[in-house]
Amino acid sequence: MGEEIEVKKCGVKFKPPAIVVTYLLVETSKLHRRTMPLRNFTKNSDVSKAASDLRTHPRHGQFVKGLPKSQLERLICIIRDKLCGMSLEASLARNEEMQKIDSDEDLNKVDPELLARKKSVMEDTFEKNQKKPGDADFEYDLQVDFDNQIVETCEWDSEGSNEDF
Amino acid sequence: MANVAPDYDKAGDDGCTKVKVICLGDSAVGKSKLVERFLMDGYKPQQLSTFALTLFNYQTEVNKEKVSVDFWDTAGQERFNNMHPSYYHQAHACIIVFDTTRKITYKNLPNWLKELREYRPEIPCLCAANKIDVDVSVTTKSFNFAKKHNMPFYFCSASDGTNVVRLFKDAIRAAVAYKNNSTDFMDEIMRELENFELETDKKDNEVDSGLDSTGNSDEQKQTTAS
Repeated sequence: MGEEIEVKKCGVKFKPPAIVVTYLLVETSKLHRRTMPLRNFTKNSDVSKAASDLRTHPRHGQFVKGLPKSQLERLICIIRDKLCGMSLEASLARNEEMQKIDSDEDLNKVDPELLARKKSVMEDTFEKNQKKPGDADFEYDLQVDFDNQIVETCEWDSEGSNEDF
Repeated sequence: MANVAPDYDKAGDDGCTKVKVICLGDSAVGKSKLVERFLMDGYKPQQLSTFALTLFNYQTEVNKEKVSVDFWDTAGQERFNNMHPSYYHQAHACIIVFDTTRKITYKNLPNWLKELREYRPEIPCLCAANKIDVDVSVTTKSFNFAKKHNMPFYFCSASDGTNVVRLFKDAIRAAVAYKNNSTDFMDEIMRELENFELETDKKDNEVDSGLDSTGNSDEQKQTTAS
């Protein structure tokens, strides 16, 4: 274990519920497929928990860590929707909707599962842009002055609806 | 797990100044991410079991004064649109955060500020515009909220680290300055109100509020004078 892999494709199996990953083993340049069952997964299971269980799984973990967190949650959610009797089309549409970040949507008011999914989508962007210790351009106290770059007032201020602004 | 919130009016074990800095803002604006970026791996998160919140301790020095900072994070309480009063209790500074990719989080800032000022009318508040890494062009825009309320404003990114350390160091300095000079009347009132609340928590009937000795006597003097 611990060989370098590149995830190429991912999908689901419904019976029994499982995540399937096609990956390239870098050392041999060969494609492999791995099926990872979701144990004890029912229509009442928590998607976000199932995803993090799989990501921290001692054997399966390394094969799903290459997937964005939100994508893994999406796959697991599709399995659960199926267990709930939803059609694949409906589930795909619903998941598409769940992963949208809407500038006007108040996330203080959505249910915990939807909030968790939106956070995962944002987390993916966070990780993509992240500079970590060890990265060549990492700087702990990175200071940038933007004061002299301001050229316009943000359009969010121009809607005079709220007098507290 | 601890059951009792720390008392920031007492000095720390080694005589250091204890300050409390709180973070406010909508769900998913990156409050925890900012704290984690500032502390990197040198933090000890502590869950207070009595309240839904997370506390991170950080030891530093400000002008050769030893300072122990507790950063309070909401642990998702903002989902109920307001925070438990204990979150604000004894806070010395506040970092109010919005997400530059989501307008609603900016539009909700006045609500957070209003709630903060109900409990802590005077503490310094700093405004963080987070997630500028997603679209850096946002930094060419001005956001009036901070200016209008006289708050220092920081474009930052918990992801790539832009201005995070600066934000937190300024917040710590502001908190310490506030604690050392917090002699103005409003603050005295607030402190007494807080003591009053604590007293009533402890003993139900013996109500002896500190307010009687200051606020009311002032009133009496005025009455006599007129």
